[in-house]
Amino acid sequence: MSTPTALRPTDLRGVRDAVLDSAGPLAIAGAGTAAWAGDLHPVDAVLDTTGLTGVIAHNPGDMTVSAYAGTPLRELNETLAAHGQRVALDAARVARGATIGGLIATADAGPAALARGSMRDLVIGATVVLADGTVARSGGHVIKNVAGYDLAKLLHGSYGTLGVLVEVVLRLHPVPKQTATLALDCPLAEAAGRAAPVLDGPYEPVAVEWRSHSSGDGSGPAATEAGRLLVRIEATPDALGARARRLLRALGSGATEAGAQEWAAHAERVRGRPEQAVLRLGARPSTLPGLLAALPGAATDAAALTLGVGTGVATAALPASAEDVVAAHHAVHAAGGTSVLRDRPAGLGAPAWGPPPSALRVFKAVKTALDPEARLGPGRFDPWI
Amino acid sequence: MALDKTIHSAFARATGPENVIDDPVRCRAYECDGLTGYRVVPDLVLLPRDAAAVAAAVRVCAEHGVAFVARGAGTGLSGGALPVADGVVISLSRLRRILEIDPVNRRAVIEPGVTNLEITAAAAPHGLYYAPDPSSQQVCTIGGNVAENSGGAHCLKYGFTTNHVLATEVVLPDGSIVTFGGDSPEQAGPDLRGVFVGSEGTLGITTKITVRLLPTPETVRTLLADFPSIGAAGDVVSDIVAAGIVPAAVEMMDTLAIEAAEQAVHAGYTVGVAAALVVELDGPVEECEVQFDQVKRICDRHGCTRLHIAGSAEERAAIWRGRKAAFAAVGRISPDYFVQDGVVPRTRLGEVLDRIAAMGKAAGLRVANVFHAGDGNLHPLVLYNAAAGETERAERLSAQIAELCVELGGSLSGEHGIGTDKACSMPKMFSRDDLAVMQRVRDAFDPDGLCNPGKVLPTPRLCGERPGPYRPHPLEEAGVIERL
Ligand SMILES: Cc1cc2nc3c(=O)[nH]c(=O)nc-3n(C[C@H](O)[C@H](O)[C@H](O)COP(=O)(O)OP(=O)(O)OC[C@H]3O[C@@H](n4cnc5c(N)ncnc54)[C@H](O)[C@@H]3O)c2cc1C
Repeated sequence: MSTPTALRPTDLRGVRDAVLDSAGPLAIAGAGTAAWAGDLHPVDAVLDTTGLTGVIAHNPGDMTVSAYAGTPLRELNETLAAHGQRVALDAARVARGATIGGLIATADAGPAALARGSMRDLVIGATVVLADGTVARSGGHVIKNVAGYDLAKLLHGSYGTLGVLVEVVLRLHPVPKQTATLALDCPLAEAAGRAAPVLDGPYEPVAVEWRSHSSGDGSGPAATEAGRLLVRIEATPDALGARARRLLRALGSGATEAGAQEWAAHAERVRGRPEQAVLRLGARPSTLPGLLAALPGAATDAAALTLGVGTGVATAALPASAEDVVAAHHAVHAAGGTSVLRDRPAGLGAPAWGPPPSALRVFKAVKTALDPEARLGPGRFDPWI
Repeated sequence: MALDKTIHSAFARATGPENVIDDPVRCRAYECDGLTGYRVVPDLVLLPRDAAAVAAAVRVCAEHGVAFVARGAGTGLSGGALPVADGVVISLSRLRRILEIDPVNRRAVIEPGVTNLEITAAAAPHGLYYAPDPSSQQVCTIGGNVAENSGGAHCLKYGFTTNHVLATEVVLPDGSIVTFGGDSPEQAGPDLRGVFVGSEGTLGITTKITVRLLPTPETVRTLLADFPSIGAAGDVVSDIVAAGIVPAAVEMMDTLAIEAAEQAVHAGYTVGVAAALVVELDGPVEECEVQFDQVKRICDRHGCTRLHIAGSAEERAAIWRGRKAAFAAVGRISPDYFVQDGVVPRTRLGEVLDRIAAMGKAAGLRVANVFHAGDGNLHPLVLYNAAAGETERAERLSAQIAELCVELGGSLSGEHGIGTDKACSMPKMFSRDDLAVMQRVRDAFDPDGLCNPGKVLPTPRLCGERPGPYRPHPLEEAGVIERL
């Protein structure tokens, strides 16, 4: 097998030319911060988006920014910070240099999704190049906009199989004046109960997550048995103290004020370790703790777990074999949820997806409509497409 | 051409004969939505009672090539639910069960005919509510909200319908049933739920919806502030944003809108003032109080001539009554009017209002303005007198205003949708390729073109052939985008 041609365009025209000048299967690669979804089949060319960087227009008064899709979110946020603004997405991969296009294509998000949503909620416009070179825009530069179909939504979670995101317009949020993180040690089984007063009350938490203590290297207790519930609020300085005190009371005995570094530890568990198979899964929040605990290998000291107590999105880094990954997909599906492999050791040979959703038919029809020759990202949705 | 007997009886079998209206007089009740200028009497109106009957009816359409239009409460303002000739209307008004309120997971599962406000009413005993709040919320249905991606005054802080829908069960144009989205924001594959929300009934019919519910905020603080100019009120909004405050709502009204609303509901607005601003904050009490003080200071700094702070739930309701009555109230100061809906980047509000005023003057027509100032969503109301032959002029002015919004880097619609009304304006905002790709997506859902045809995307039949000379995109002229 010959090495695929490397394409590294630096603007919209370059992307279109790259797509048109190449023929055959084409992969789209961002910063390469995770081995998401299905293993790629052999491709003739790889379109590297990391040359597509930079802010195109930042309108601080409108709280919007347009940028090239290959821009690392971390860099974009450093630029925006000078204006007291940011893209309010805190996915674990951001620290590793994940690009905004990659975060959209993989539908990634972090703990703040509870309050701010994921990229699908933050993208207000997009320019996409399709496999036949067509350049299509949708959305625009305003936050409120219902004109036409929202093609950016289609690209969200498309894993590089529907088109190349080139330019992205994002809505911004203010950088919070202050934040506080509260923590409480408890096992997985108690997380939802302890978090309930916070989620049901008037506290406006930005994030409510539980993470296992286990770092996944086999040195600690079973992942399900010991962990930490984390609650983050964003506040104005004059309100912070009072809000944090009230939250501590709501959380009850054992709750303490903790530092922002708690979130780095959380992100570490989301990313998993090289030898682990990392699944991202979603289900009705109340079913998640039981579901997580029953995944193969979850109740051991070699696993690491995180749980969005309010969102119902979790990650499970498991000491897994291919059969265990299959079993995990089926368990999630049986509970009415969905799961995808977000990272795995090379050559694990496990399927990235579980049983298909009913909407697969529509996805296939959209795929055929936008990429009739099935050039883009072959293998990403194996065995579905 | 009326539908023939075989097809008619197939529909009767699908939904039950008692759920079919074929009497032309009764069908006339469905001839238009809230945009009453467009009217088409449908051949049949179907009123299925459950999702299975909806699917059965759509299968009959697919089999016989009959076009269908879904309909909720018919409050849409862009002609989205306008029937098509020789087609059927599928009304979702009898699918109105609240299937589940799940307070533990803070969500509701409802059928499409449930009204927006009924969701909140059912959630309220659990201390929860459904956030998107279109002014029509007492009557509009959640199915219509999903189709239009409806917004409301409080969407500035809480987001639009699309941000609150977790899952939708959809009858596709071939009559099969699928679910987009699921029990969590995590979806397997592309965000088809997000594509469906806001697709204006052109990709299928939603028969079941799961929405997120939020805890009712413990504190709500509302003020009404008068300003000597629209510009000053606009500066207040800018400063609020610059201070990092995200209000629950920021609404603005101009002299004419205030005058109309005050005549109609006596809500305590100051008649004659240039601009009134309604600012509402909600959230944890400590946060709310600190930020409310900041907002009051910002108002003072910009020459606020009167600051009225709602001291009770009744006073707050009165402020909102004035704002929400504004559309209908304009009927008191003008025999006829058009409601427009466009968006500009918030920082260009002053500019767009100046230009609208000039355009109104040139057309010899008055324009009242009510708008969601926080997100630049304008609702200019073009006043006219049909009896005096002003209709066409007013229609033209209204369309020009929407297109002006695009020219200023905004959008043809912030919440009312494209529907029939603005399909022919779409080429002002999108290139031919953009629209062709949207059409490809539409065809993937609806290969036979039976699902609400003629809406959203321009068709030669509707808009006339317009090959014409090359016209640069407005954003291209502004240097914001480049064309290849
Ligand atoms: C006084 C007034 C105030 C308004 N204020 C607002 C506002 O503040 N914000 C706002 O966003 N809108 C507002 N609107 C517009 C309108 O109320 C919304 O668009 C609303 O969502 C329409 O709901 P409906 O049930 O009346 O839908 P309809 O008008 O019946 O239909 C609207 C569209 O939805 C489609 N549709 C309906 N049901 C379904 C279904 N089950 N599946 C698929 N498609 C379906 C129809 O085909 C049509 O295209 C206002 C309207 C009025 C008259």
